[in-house]
Amino acid sequence: MNDTSQQTPNPGNKRSFTRPLLAVVLIVLILAAGTLNSPRVKASPQMQGTATPQLLPTPTFDLSRLDKPVVTGDNSDQLKKGSIIYWGVCLTCHGDRGQGMTTEWRDAYGDDKNCWQSGCHGSDHPTPGFEIPKDLVIPPVAGPGKLARFKNAQELHDFILASMPWWNPGDLTDEEAWQVSAYILRLHKVMPTEFELKDTNASAITTLYAVPQPGNDRPPVLILMSVLGLAAIGLLIQDLRKSKPGAAERPNFFHHLHPPTIPALQARLRYTLGAGGLAVFLCLILLVTGILEMFYYIPVPTHAAISVETITSLVPFGALTRNLHYWSAQALMIVVTVHLLRVVLTGAYARHRRLNYLIGLGMLVLVLLLDFTGYVLRWDEGIRWALIVGTNLLKAIPWIGNNLYQLAIGGAEPGLSAIERFYTWHIFVLTGGMIVLGSWHIFRVRRDGGVAVPPPSQRTDHTRISRYDLLRREVAFIAVAGMILLAISYAFPAPIARPITEATVDIESARAPWFFLWVQQLLKIGQPFLWGVAVPVLLLLVLALIPFFLPQADEQEYGRWFPKGNRIAQILLLALVLIVILLTILATIPTAQL
Amino acid sequence: MKNLNRRDFLKLSTNSLLALAGILGVGGLLRYLSYQFDSPPRNEFDIGPQTDYPLYSQTVLPHIPAIIVHDDDGLRVMSLTCTHLGCMVEPRNFGFECPCHGSRYSVDGKVFKGPAASNLPRLRVEKSEDGNIHVFRT
Repeated sequence: MNDTSQQTPNPGNKRSFTRPLLAVVLIVLILAAGTLNSPRVKASPQMQGTATPQLLPTPTFDLSRLDKPVVTGDNSDQLKKGSIIYWGVCLTCHGDRGQGMTTEWRDAYGDDKNCWQSGCHGSDHPTPGFEIPKDLVIPPVAGPGKLARFKNAQELHDFILASMPWWNPGDLTDEEAWQVSAYILRLHKVMPTEFELKDTNASAITTLYAVPQPGNDRPPVLILMSVLGLAAIGLLIQDLRKSKPGAAERPNFFHHLHPPTIPALQARLRYTLGAGGLAVFLCLILLVTGILEMFYYIPVPTHAAISVETITSLVPFGALTRNLHYWSAQALMIVVTVHLLRVVLTGAYARHRRLNYLIGLGMLVLVLLLDFTGYVLRWDEGIRWALIVGTNLLKAIPWIGNNLYQLAIGGAEPGLSAIERFYTWHIFVLTGGMIVLGSWHIFRVRRDGGVAVPPPSQRTDHTRISRYDLLRREVAFIAVAGMILLAISYAFPAPIARPITEATVDIESARAPWFFLWVQQLLKIGQPFLWGVAVPVLLLLVLALIPFFLPQADEQEYGRWFPKGNRIAQILLLALVLIVILLTILATIPTAQL
Repeated sequence: MKNLNRRDFLKLSTNSLLALAGILGVGGLLRYLSYQFDSPPRNEFDIGPQTDYPLYSQTVLPHIPAIIVHDDDGLRVMSLTCTHLGCMVEPRNFGFECPCHGSRYSVDGKVFKGPAASNLPRLRVEKSEDGNIHVFRT
C-alpha cells in the first residue's frame, strides 16, 4: 500500500490543460494518491483476487477505455475542449461514460476502489486533497432518465459553473462550463451534433430526450434567393419590352384589384419611391411569418424566451422565419417613415386626401406599437428594461396613469398577465387595426383618384399603363424586395439574449429599441410624463394638424417633389425628422463614466 | 331647438341612445380588462442569516433589487430601483448610475444628477424569529 512508483495511467497528466490551475490540482491529487496506493496498472484480475480478497469478485475493467475521451461523433471545437476537461477532471468521479460512481467504475481504481477509505478521500486525506463524505451521492451524468434535475442545458451549465468541480466550485470559466455541458449532453445523447451551446440556445436543449438534429437551412435559402432573382429578371425584361396583353387574356383576381388603366405619371418610382407598395408587401411577409411563429411561440414568462430559442436554433427554417419577421418589421418602420416624408414633401396630402393622411398617421402609431410589443414578446434579458421603462411611462401620466398601467400589463408588475396582454395586442388587436386601417387607406387612395397627380387638363404626359403592366411591375418589385429581404435575413440574425430569470440581472442592454431611442434620449432630460409622453404626443399632433393649418400645394403641383405651395409643411417635417434622427444618434453615444 | 321636428327628434334620440350604449360598453370593457390575474408581487424577501453579510460588506441583491450595507451603524438596505423610470442602477465609484437615462446617485442614495427627482429609498429590514433577515419593498 505504500508503493510510490508513478505508473498511474491517469489520463489527466498526458495532455496539457486549457487551464494550468486544473492541471496542478489534478497532478497534486494523482501524486497524493500515488504515494499511498498501489498503481492502477497492477489491478489485473489475478492481483485483485490475491491483494484484496475481502472484496467480492468484480468484472474486469478494461483500462484502455481511459486512454482518451469517449468519442462523441462530433468535431466542434467546443465539444473537443469539453471532452478534454471532462476526461481530466470530471471523469475521476462521474465515470468515463458519465455513469457516475458505480461499482463498475470504481473497479478502474483497482485496489483503491473504496475512495472513502482512510488515506484517499477519507477524513485523514493528504494535505492537498479533500474528503468525500460517505453519504455523498456521486451521480451519473449520462443515460436514460439521468440529469432529470435540470430542465435544460442552461440549468445544467449554471449548476456546473456554480458548483463544479466538487472540491473547488466556481473554478471553471463560463466558457469552460459551456464546453463541459456540451460534452456531457453529448454523452447523455440529447444534444444535436455540430451544435454550439451558448446562453441564447441552451434553454432549448432539454435533458429529457434527444433533441432532433437541426438541418442546414442555408443552401435552400440561397436557392430560393436565386430563383426569386431569376423571376425578377424575367419580369423586368417583359416590362422593358412593354408587351401588350393578348386579346384572349382576361383580368384575373389580382388584375381586378387595380383599375383597368392608370396614368403613367402615377406609376413613376422616382415619384412614389414604391414606399406604399413596399409597406403592403412587408405587412404580408409579417403576417405570414408571424402566423408561422405562432405555431411555436408560447406566451408564458417561463417559456416565451425558450420557445424563441427553439424557433431560432432548432426548428427547420425557424431562424429564417424569425429573421424575416424581424427584418420586415424594422424595414416597415423605415418604409412607412419614408412614405410619410414622400407624401408631405410632394404635397400629396392636401384637400380631400386629408382623411387618408390621418389614417396613415394612425397606421404609423400602430406600426410603432406593433414593433414595441413584438420586441417585448422575446421576453429575454435584452428587453427587460425597455419593458419596465415603457410601462412605467404609462404610470407617469397624471390621473389615469395607474389605471392605464393596470390595463396594459394586467398586474402590479410585468409578469404572466403582461406577456398575455402584449401577445393579444400584438397578434390580434394591433394587427387587426392594421388590417382595417390598411384596407381603408388603400380604398381611400383609389377613391381619391389614385396616387396624387395633376388633373388631366394640366398633365404633360397623357400615356396610361394597363393593369397587366402595373401588376407585372408590382410582382417584379416584390421579387426584388423579397430577394433583398432574404439576403438580409440570411446574413444578419435577429437579436436574442438569454431568458429572463429572477436570479440574474443583465444591465448591459439598457438601450431602448432603435425606433424609441429618441424617446430614451428625451427622457434623460427629466420629468417622465413631459418628455416621455407629452412631447411625443405633441409631435404626433403637429403631424396630424399639418393638412389643416398650413398652406397646401396646388392641384397642378401634384406629382412633383418639393412643390412651392406647402413649403412650410415640408420644412417643418424635415426639421422634426432631423431632430428625431439627432436624438437617436445622441442616444447611441455612451455617456462618459466618472 | 325650435325647428326640431318629430323626425329629427327621433333621429337625435336614437343616436344618443346608441352613443350611450357605446359608452356603457366601453365602461364594461375597461372593467373587464382591469381584473388582476397575477398574484400580487412579493414585497417581503428573506435574504438569509445576518452572517451572510459580515461587517463592512456590501452585497447587491438583484432580485429585489437592493444593496445591503453592513457598517458600524449596523445593517441597512437601500433600493436599487431608479426613482425615474424603474431600471436597476449600477454601482459606480461615485455611488450609483442608472443605465437607462443616466441618473446618478451618491453612495448613500442621494440623487445628484437627473433626470431622477428623488433619492433611492431605504428599505425596511427586520430580523425574523428564525434569525433570517427580511427586507420589505413597499
